Amino acid sequence: MESRGLEPVVHIEDFGMSFGSTRVIEGLSFDVYPGETFGFLGSNGSGKTTTIRALLGIYQATAGILHVGGQPFSPDRNISLGYLPEERGLYKKETVIDVMVYFGRLKGLSRERANNWSISYLARVGIASKAKVRLDKLSSGEQQKVQLGITIMNDPVLLILDEPTKGFDPVNRRLLMEIIEEQRVAGTTVLMVTHQMEEVERLCDRVVLLKHGKARAYGTISEIQGEFGSSSIFVEHAGEMPNSARYNIQFSSQGRSKLLAKSGNSVGSILKELVERGVEVSSFAEKKSSLDEIFIQIYGEEQAREAG
Amino acid sequence: MSKRNLGTVVSFEVSRTLKKKKFWLGTLTVPFAMALVLGLIIVSNATTANKVDVQKNAKFAFEYIDSSGLVEVAIAKSLGGTPATNAQMAINSVKNGEIPAFFDFPSNPAVQSVKVYGVDKGIFNNGKYSAVATQLLTLSLQNKVGDASLFTLAAGKVKVISTSYLHGKVSGSLADVIPPLLFLVIFYLVILLLGNQMLTSTQEEKENRVTEIILTTVKPNTLIIGKILSLFTIGMVQILVFAFPVAIGYVFFRTDLRLPNFDLSSLNFHPLPMFIGFMLLIGGFTLFTGTLVAVGAIMPTAKEAGNVFGVVTALLFAPFWVISLVASDPRSLIVQIFTYFPYSAAVTGMMRNGLGSLGNAAAAIVILELFVFGFLILKLAIRLFRFGSIEYSKRVSPLKVFRHAK
Repeated sequence: MESRGLEPVVHIEDFGMSFGSTRVIEGLSFDVYPGETFGFLGSNGSGKTTTIRALLGIYQATAGILHVGGQPFSPDRNISLGYLPEERGLYKKETVIDVMVYFGRLKGLSRERANNWSISYLARVGIASKAKVRLDKLSSGEQQKVQLGITIMNDPVLLILDEPTKGFDPVNRRLLMEIIEEQRVAGTTVLMVTHQMEEVERLCDRVVLLKHGKARAYGTISEIQGEFGSSSIFVEHAGEMPNSARYNIQFSSQGRSKLLAKSGNSVGSILKELVERGVEVSSFAEKKSSLDEIFIQIYGEEQAREAG
Repeated sequence: MSKRNLGTVVSFEVSRTLKKKKFWLGTLTVPFAMALVLGLIIVSNATTANKVDVQKNAKFAFEYIDSSGLVEVAIAKSLGGTPATNAQMAINSVKNGEIPAFFDFPSNPAVQSVKVYGVDKGIFNNGKYSAVATQLLTLSLQNKVGDASLFTLAAGKVKVISTSYLHGKVSGSLADVIPPLLFLVIFYLVILLLGNQMLTSTQEEKENRVTEIILTTVKPNTLIIGKILSLFTIGMVQILVFAFPVAIGYVFFRTDLRLPNFDLSSLNFHPLPMFIGFMLLIGGFTLFTGTLVAVGAIMPTAKEAGNVFGVVTALLFAPFWVISLVASDPRSLIVQIFTYFPYSAAVTGMMRNGLGSLGNAAAAIVILELFVFGFLILKLAIRLFRFGSIEYSKRVSPLKVFRHAK
């Protein structure tokens, strides 16, 4: 376990989960520390939602330790939680304000505070006039705004977002990102389950990448890029790009080439070889693999191995 | 369990039900229909009473033959009657419309029918012929007995007040039986009125995908118990609304409705049977509610859950198949089985408690059994809800739930 001198808000150690004879998660361990934004990545069916459900006590783990705030999660015992599940919905036949006040009360707010907070939030997101309207009379975008409000109305210490942008329209996606940013700035710990690698790169401090129930990558973005990514080199040059033992040519056309450094060869050594071999280089730039590429690489390798 | 959250759940569930027009439409339909029926009964009774009086006092000319010798000629004459000499001729006269009616009193009216012939005056007015024939015979007999009271007693209209004793104390009267049986009435009303709502109480969370948010906000036992308490509260509101026209009818229109003049102050509320009845009610309610919630939790839709309600209703009424045995031979094997089988225990127990045949030890066992089974089934219901409801559109296998849910 990584130690930062802080107690982790989320501590998962050697977590295992089986459904009947099917092993879904195996030996999964990771920590989420106070104030960080943590990305929980993986393809569909890799076990992300199962992990979150086990963490929040909905499922019973087959093995391992799952703690929130230093103990197994219980709604009336732990730190304040904001949870936006993948399967989301609200009491559709009730009015917006009734549902918001109900959840506010369950989350520990007084009736007055829940009511005031809800009215001010609805005004902020532009649906103040819908406070006394039944939820099923709202558009899906407006319902998403209410859902988001309920998630954060208790100023959560831990915010768990399972596929947060799933089904959100662009306006609400932007609103969600603003809210996540505000929560980050306010010091909320964010655990984000997602496929959206661009968002992860932009928002997350650290990530764990889950595949077939096992952690395949765990660390900061740059640590993972260092461990799994390869450097791509974009070269503009005159003439043909020669083959070399130091790199593979991914493509080469009309004086533009993309090279992939082979293991153990630095970018500098490749530039030196090109110069020594008389290639007239007008532009030479290194680009590290994106998380998206690493994700595809990890999943691709496994698929290739399975196919082979 | 957080009492604050329990209160929040109960208040949310009760207020949102009471705010629904549909609820009040359904609930008020019953007292409205009852008021309508009671009104019709009052009008009908008044009309019928008037009609009977008018008919039996109707005066029209008739002929009669009295083979019994019971009919007093003077009384017959006062009612418009004239003795006939030949029955067939009199009948022919009626057929031809020459005389309005002819009565043929047999030699023994106690076993033979009095034959009444009349000119058709319409289906409602034809009743006057038999009314006058009966009146003629009744007045004649009263005259023969010579005392209206003796005549009434001879007719078997005797008022009896019965007092029995058990261990030297007055017992077994209707006034003792009725109060504990009120719990049985409340039990049936609550389960029948709310059973379907109990079955579908967790469906909303499931169908609207609210389960995960709710389960991470409030403990499942708080939610389920809150829902049950709110259903019980709503049931009580409905019972009060239904009871209102009955109370009004009894207090203000008892005579018009021809209700028996039962003196409520004579009811005996003995503490022990009342306590046992109350505990049986709560235990039975817990068991049936837990069962209904458990079944509802594994059903994917309200419609499918509703299909199970028929089975539960059958279980509720099963003890009535042996009600005569419960009353006459409570020690019989069948009654014993019904007394201790959990799903028939509450109803059989409440019946026997009312009839005074449930001993204290048996009552204690049945109450304990109901609470233990009720508690276990509630735990199961909470477990099924916890796992079953996040399966959303799938039906859940209880075995799977035991394997994977907390």
